[in-house]
Amino acid sequence: MQNGSPESSPLGRVERRAVFRRALLDSLPVLAGYGTMGFAAGVLMAKAGGVDAPVFWAGVSALLTFSGTLSFAVVPLVARAAAGTDGCAALACAAAALAATVNFRYAFYGVSLLPRWRAASWRRRLLLIHTLSDEVYALDVACRYARAEARLAYCSRLGVLCIGYWTAGVTAGAAAGAAAGAALPVPARGIEFAMTALFAAILCDRLRAMSPRRRKGDAR
Amino acid sequence: MSRACWSVAAVVAAAAAVTYALRALPFAVAALRRRALPAGAERFGELLAPAMLAALVVYSFGALEWRTPWPYLALAATVALQLLARSPLASIAAGTALYMALVACAGCAAPPPLEYDGAHPLLAITGRGIRFGGEYVTPAQAVERLESRGIPKDATIHILLEDGYDDRRAPWVFQHNYLGKAGYRRTILVRPRRSESCAVGRDAAAPRRELQRRAPGDGR
Repeated sequence: MQNGSPESSPLGRVERRAVFRRALLDSLPVLAGYGTMGFAAGVLMAKAGGVDAPVFWAGVSALLTFSGTLSFAVVPLVARAAAGTDGCAALACAAAALAATVNFRYAFYGVSLLPRWRAASWRRRLLLIHTLSDEVYALDVACRYARAEARLAYCSRLGVLCIGYWTAGVTAGAAAGAAAGAALPVPARGIEFAMTALFAAILCDRLRAMSPRRRKGDAR
Repeated sequence: MSRACWSVAAVVAAAAAVTYALRALPFAVAALRRRALPAGAERFGELLAPAMLAALVVYSFGALEWRTPWPYLALAATVALQLLARSPLASIAAGTALYMALVACAGCAAPPPLEYDGAHPLLAITGRGIRFGGEYVTPAQAVERLESRGIPKDATIHILLEDGYDDRRAPWVFQHNYLGKAGYRRTILVRPRRSESCAVGRDAAAPRRELQRRAPGDGR
């Protein structure tokens, strides 16, 4: 079942651990951003829903969709679905159209990651594709492991960590929203800037790496 | 499973399927082609990365208070630190901390943004006189303050009538002889929400009637 380019020489245990540590450290800003944004999305979903098991559905949709903007945008549709008055097919079409417009940008990420993920096995590629979000993309692009195996291991660990943060954030938010009746305070005002700073810092590095003077000696 | 439950499942499944398909699109196209991509495509992908990152920086500003100078200052600090120290985690943490501090300080120092709708009336009329924000003012001063705070003339000015205040004449004079003459033609008298037990007994229809009373020349 392997496709043309299986991953040669797998990583050793020490290397794997180092890669994981790197991914964990790099994903800390994402934890800050996803934790709070996911929490907000979860609260919203639990409030607007009227769904029977909001925590379950919020968690499932976070895990299956893994898209921040869509999580917020889909809430009215979920509420209508929970009301049970509209047809299943119509709602599904509306959700598909919404997802297509909101997440169209994801199609472009793949174009720039094609050469970087060429060595991945198809299974790993399915996982990498599923966990490809704005932040994961930015960190994938920033990753400077020279060896393809290390890079792919890093990318997939990063993806799993980030989808974990997001799902945990959304589920916690939905649980809090379902439990508390009143409006919840925003946990920490301004923490969303971690996402902007992450993109900006990676853009800086990227532009520096592209400038002809610094082409060499960037491999970690 | 109930019909509503199926509908929610359909919405989640459709959103997830479309999102996954968008993420997978470039990889699917590349796999179906079965030929190496032209060199130009890889170069395009390389160039696409910084462009996408720059777009993400701009896009993420939507979640911030981008009408204030704070995100721009914090972004400049993040970029400067990243160019100097080249440690993404440090510059992200510092930039985010700076942004949070700026936003928090600005929140303390500057007056909170004026919200003026039925839930947040600017003006109140009580037994003691006219109140603007926390202090009592003369009618002329009230108009002056509205103008100095930059409230547009076509804004709807809600005037809260204190619970139990039942003089009809004074609010009318204020509406017409002061606000109306200054150009504020859209004024609405509101009474506090009667949500508590003490309010149930007396004239329950009053708030609605008051809400519909408007200044002459309103056009509606």
